[in-house]
Amino acid sequence: MFEARLGQATILKKILDAIKDLLNEATFDCSDSGIQLQAMDNSHVSLVSLTLRSDGFDKFRCDRNLSMGMNLGSMAKILKCANNEDNVTMKAQDNADTVTIMFESANQEKVSDYEMKLMNLDQEHLGIPETDFSCVVRMPAMEFARICRDLAQFSESVVICCTKEGVKFSASGDVGTANIKLAQTGSVDKEEEAVIIEMQEPVTLTFACRYLNAFTKATPLSTQVQLSMCANVPLVVEYAIKDLGHIRYYLAPKIEDNET
Amino acid sequence: MGILGLSKLIADLAPQAIRESEMKHFFGRKVAIDASMCLYQFLIAVRSEGAQLATVNGDPTSHLMGMFYRTIRLLDNGIKPVYVFDGKPPDLKSGELAKRAERREEAEKALKAATDAGDDAGIEKFNRRLVRVTKEHAKEAKELLTLMGVPYVDAPCEAEAQCAALVKAGKVYATATEDMDALTFGSTKLLRYLTYSEARKMPVKEFSYDKLLEGLSINNREFIDLCILLGCDYCESIKGIGPKRAIELINTYRDIETILDNLDSSKYTVPENWNYKVARELFIEPEVANADSIDLKWVEPDEEGLVKFLCGDRQFNEERVRNGAKKLMKSKQAQTQVRLDSFFKTLPSTPNASNAAKRKAEEAKKSANNKKAKTSGGGRGRRPK
Repeated sequence: MFEARLGQATILKKILDAIKDLLNEATFDCSDSGIQLQAMDNSHVSLVSLTLRSDGFDKFRCDRNLSMGMNLGSMAKILKCANNEDNVTMKAQDNADTVTIMFESANQEKVSDYEMKLMNLDQEHLGIPETDFSCVVRMPAMEFARICRDLAQFSESVVICCTKEGVKFSASGDVGTANIKLAQTGSVDKEEEAVIIEMQEPVTLTFACRYLNAFTKATPLSTQVQLSMCANVPLVVEYAIKDLGHIRYYLAPKIEDNET
Repeated sequence: MGILGLSKLIADLAPQAIRESEMKHFFGRKVAIDASMCLYQFLIAVRSEGAQLATVNGDPTSHLMGMFYRTIRLLDNGIKPVYVFDGKPPDLKSGELAKRAERREEAEKALKAATDAGDDAGIEKFNRRLVRVTKEHAKEAKELLTLMGVPYVDAPCEAEAQCAALVKAGKVYATATEDMDALTFGSTKLLRYLTYSEARKMPVKEFSYDKLLEGLSINNREFIDLCILLGCDYCESIKGIGPKRAIELINTYRDIETILDNLDSSKYTVPENWNYKVARELFIEPEVANADSIDLKWVEPDEEGLVKFLCGDRQFNEERVRNGAKKLMKSKQAQTQVRLDSFFKTLPSTPNASNAAKRKAEEAKKSANNKKAKTSGGGRGRRPK
């Protein structure tokens, strides 16, 4: 038996919005420690890793480890039927081939439940090695989303260059070039507006805008985003989900072709 | 050509080994392409108003047209192709080749009949059957590839075997061919429909060798025996043994020797002097060039050379050729997107998931058994006729 209950459907909605552009379907691995999801996009360039801790739920019960393969489009459709303030409960029997999602209005007057078929997904789990990143940048999530959106107009790829002074995002294409520099915030008054850079070594890496823009769909989940970079290693973009867990995106860099 | 009914057998019994996806999902991958198969496809398919494209002298250029544009399309999608050309056919193939020659003769006769009768559809149909890839075609194709900056490999013998060797050595990701025997040669991945035209909107089918063996629950040697039973190019097969019977026999007896010992000789006639052993050897140790010594390089195209080669006598449109060359240049210069799998290694599937998969496989088996019972019943009903 698996049962997980969240006070507000809006969080689950936002989580789905944050992953459904990259993934068509994915497996939610449930255990007594919480819910995990790890999946690569179709072209195996990026990876989504979602962790929801059991203690972040209002109620959480998982007797046997359970893998629920879901079509994320269908799941998003069901969540559209919920009001933001509704309670949401996910339920499944052990070895079940369906999951039940139940919404209860705050005053308990309206209860709706939806049953969705589960899928058996052929999934590859990737082992992600621990990395000592050369640069870790924390910045407002809104700012990052804005930068990615703006630079995507200039080029397919964006260069992120991180030094002690700050972090620079640049793109160049047929139209011309664009550079956006962010300096480290001097005094931190409001934590959510700060730009903080921890650097061991300067790093310059190139990434595809398309994926960065897909990652920024998670912006509503968190005020801050953390970018971790290291030469020749995938970028990690992390959004914390308050009191519940986090969502991490990994993106393989673009490199100069050196085979000639 | 290839292994009879293998793709259907895999689709029925090991569906997890086949994955369909779009061409763009293979970007950044290197693939080995069976060039002879490709040229043959182009000679048949690339036509305008039923006639092949030709030079002023009437020599066909369809294969060059196909090669030029399909290769550009692959590179445009970030796929790096390497073409593998057939060498001399193995001696064992002579039987199969004789059969093909026979069929050509028949087609020639039929073409004559159709011409006499003035049957246009018939003329076109048999004309296509008469198409063959000559040394000259291959030579021209190689010349074109060199100008395009795309590498090719001359296989000492069968191209599929060489492709498989390249895949096994990790030089390329997969073999792209329509010929299923690349799997019998042990190519870990096989892509079908990769070189099809865009207009046909065929999703690329990816066959995984490991998952296939797992799905059929046999090992690589048993798989080779299975392919021989199904019918390959190198020796005859036993009359009356179809795909279903073949996999049953392999599952029960594990190799052809034991099958022959236990086979009801009144029901099935084994071909005389059946040299399945040699065929098997050919699959296990085909004659291939050492893949490690092959260096694959993709270089910049020679635009002027292409224009000179294709325009002149071969009557290609200069503007289009130049555009094509620009596309080749662009794909060469663009930065390459790396795939995540080159950083993170796939973990063995979680026990949870594999249990679920096993359960599913068992269920599938059960339902397959039910089906089998039904179909064999139907077979019995039919036989008295």
